[in-house]
Amino acid sequence: MDFWQEIFMALRRNKSRTILTGFAISWGIFILIVLLAAGNGIINAVGEEFSDQSRNVYTIYWGETSKPFKGHGTNRAIYFNDKDIRFLETESKHVDQLSPSSYFSGTASFNDKSNSIFVNGVRPVYKEINNVKMLEGRFINAQDEKSGEKFIVIDKTLRDKLFGEGVSPLGKFVIVNNMAFNVVGVCDAERHSDGGDSYIPFSTLKSIRRISRYWKLSFTVKGLETKEDNEAFTHYLRTQLARLHEFDPDDTSAVYIRSMQEEYLQTMKIFNTFELFIWIIGFAMLISGIVGVSNIMRITVKERTNEIGIRKALGAKSRSILASIVTESLIITTVFGYIGMWLGMMVAEVSGKILGDIQAGEGLSMNIVPSIDIRIVLMATALLVVCGVLAGFFPARNAVKIKPIEAMNYR
Amino acid sequence: MIRLENINKTYFGAQPLHVLKGIDLHIGEGEMVSIMGASGSGKSTLLNILGILDNYDSGDYRLNGKLVKNLTENQAADMRNQLIGFIFQSFNLIPFKTAMENVALPLYYQNVGRKKRNQLALEYLERFGLKEWADHYPNQLSGGQKQRVSMARALVTQPKIILADEPTGALDSKTSAEVMQILREVHQTGITMVIVTHERGIALRTDKIIHLKDGIIENIETNDPDSIDFSKEIK
Repeated sequence: MDFWQEIFMALRRNKSRTILTGFAISWGIFILIVLLAAGNGIINAVGEEFSDQSRNVYTIYWGETSKPFKGHGTNRAIYFNDKDIRFLETESKHVDQLSPSSYFSGTASFNDKSNSIFVNGVRPVYKEINNVKMLEGRFINAQDEKSGEKFIVIDKTLRDKLFGEGVSPLGKFVIVNNMAFNVVGVCDAERHSDGGDSYIPFSTLKSIRRISRYWKLSFTVKGLETKEDNEAFTHYLRTQLARLHEFDPDDTSAVYIRSMQEEYLQTMKIFNTFELFIWIIGFAMLISGIVGVSNIMRITVKERTNEIGIRKALGAKSRSILASIVTESLIITTVFGYIGMWLGMMVAEVSGKILGDIQAGEGLSMNIVPSIDIRIVLMATALLVVCGVLAGFFPARNAVKIKPIEAMNYR
Repeated sequence: MIRLENINKTYFGAQPLHVLKGIDLHIGEGEMVSIMGASGSGKSTLLNILGILDNYDSGDYRLNGKLVKNLTENQAADMRNQLIGFIFQSFNLIPFKTAMENVALPLYYQNVGRKKRNQLALEYLERFGLKEWADHYPNQLSGGQKQRVSMARALVTQPKIILADEPTGALDSKTSAEVMQILREVHQTGITMVIVTHERGIALRTDKIIHLKDGIIENIETNDPDSIDFSKEIK
């Protein structure tokens, strides 16, 4: 009890020393946490872009040949057809669910209002593959695809233009190129171009437009885990398509094959480097924090050499002086370390909320929310506390070893 | 009370310095003696050895009948705490403690409770006319007041011996006289007192003047302070 009173009195009476030392600790921890949180925020945001379901997705786009092959000239457009779909759905064990895409554009009208429209014919799985977000109603389902009904999912932009903001269009009919489509859902606008994105069942599109060439095939895959798996599968797809469409398998512009998994792995590789970089900076900051705190501790103890000498002359034992100095530094480092930790986490939290709101408000797809692992925070704080105490301990031990008379005359 | 036999002390620096060359000295209980000598004569070293603040190389030092030799640091600390009160030229008060807390500090190291400590400290401050200054910090006190605080601190543990190293060195002559007056009064209570000084005027207020020169005792002069009229003494 008396011991603690002595300690707290010494801390209180030497305010500037206490606060200066404490500030060094708080600042070190604070900066470290904010830095790590910001880095984590960016990494998490990118990770979120690749959600689990959309990661196992392949998309094949039409292209133009750039090499002559088997009598065909260059600049021949390669579109996809039903043969390709059949091949993908039956021949490859990795293809799970597939949706071809084709489209037509025209004018959509409701009552006296009209707007240009871009109508995609897709299968239900398209929603998962392309992460289409529904605002109300539903997406095209398997029943629609089977029956070929004239159902349509329109995007938010079109809804606002035809029906007015906030008015539900569900169950109403829009007229597209003289055909009436029943609105079953509203989705978030992905493209902000004028036509927007509206969806009808693929079978409906085929029956009304008699389309046999498709510009894009997207499908989910299974059983592809590694980069090597993906590269091998991409190569397989290209050679098979080259065979079906008679183009040079080495001609990479004939069709574009995009693997989300491959992109994900690539991005993650970049971000692993980024994360390592953040850790190195964080570690460097921690080191400079430790050096700063150690220095202050060292100088503090040096300054107290006289006091140590006086106390020894008055009958203080080295152990009791050492105990009070170490306890003092322990209290300073713990209390101020905690304050720095708390402030850092608060800043990370608040900035996360503010950034989240801004991003939501501007409709940004990337969501940077600073976050931090509490274990790392605690470990860093503990490390700084331990180092601060050790930094006080060693010079203090040296100071109490000095003969009292020399310590008292120390200047 | 204090018995030194053939005490030798050498400082080993770049050039070894033989500071004390066989000191034999006896100071009886209740005596008030002064040690005089030019700077470099070894008087401060001798006082540090007497105060167990420094060790010696050879010889025997008995304090209160106990041999002070090869003590552990803790034993030395305990002996200092229980037997010796120090008064220093530069007062050596702890700047961030009040007068009362400074006086109470030696009691803290005797594990005396806080309340008792502060009460005793106040009593001693009152004895030196500093009761109103109990809550002041050292930098708010004059030199004479500081020295009186340090005297209170030296006495609060009721030591057997007071060791004073140039206690008036930092004070003007009037204050010096006051301080010496107090020390004499303290001595009357039966405490053994050793004062190191280079001022004859101070030494003349003690019963015995030990002259130190080049590490040996040159002579010991007996003195009767009561026969001297200090009002005429020129410092």
